[in-house]
Amino acid sequence: MSTVGISLVRTITVAIKPPRTYFLRYPFGHALGEAGNRPQQTTIFKDCLNLLETARVPGIILESPYRWRGQRFA
Amino acid sequence: MKNKPIKRFKMALFKIPWVRQRWEEKFTPVTSEAIPWTPLTKPLARCTIALITTGGVHLKNDAPFNMDDKDGDPSYRTIPSTATKSDLMITHDYYDHTDADSDINLVLPIDILRACQEEGIVGRSSEFFYSLMGHIVLPHLPYLVEKTAKEIATALQGQGVDIVFLVPA
Repeated sequence: MSTVGISLVRTITVAIKPPRTYFLRYPFGHALGEAGNRPQQTTIFKDCLNLLETARVPGIILESPYRWRGQRFA
Repeated sequence: MKNKPIKRFKMALFKIPWVRQRWEEKFTPVTSEAIPWTPLTKPLARCTIALITTGGVHLKNDAPFNMDDKDGDPSYRTIPSTATKSDLMITHDYYDHTDADSDINLVLPIDILRACQEEGIVGRSSEFFYSLMGHIVLPHLPYLVEKTAKEIATALQGQGVDIVFLVPA
């Protein structure tokens, strides 16, 4: 099984060393973004799937470009 | 929930950036030497996918996670992948899940996954998804690693899962 995970705490991810991680500077309880914000949640979900598909280096931590506030999602 | 106002206050403190940063600096996580790696061997659209959350999600008619043990509850809950938001609830005193209560996709993206499946981006769901609570400390770590994690992994293999998407609280 191939895995991809979201992280909200980079230091813990660095210590645990999961194979593929998408890191977001978001509050706890908001791994996919804001409640009811489908464009945001879908974008993050698809980014994670894309990471799963493209990662070639074990232990990769991809930092999300999306800010918690003031970010527009199509 | 015991001491509910105090726990809510503590959770609210984590919204202050320096409080959270201080917690991150002081937290001592389990460390790993090796990085597990299973390459993706087929297109996503042909993959069977499972979701795992540490957000304390469970079926409303299932037993809640144990909030009386300060060291956490290392057990897991099984969630049919056909479950809907109205079937689910969250029991987890260690993060503010007010928003996730109103939109479960924040910690278990069931609707987002279904939309991606309708678009043909990813294949079918496994029969079951899995949920844990993400506040489990030392006394329960052996149980978590040796029993819970292995049982979930075995169950996923039995369902022919190709890819797993993990979501924290």
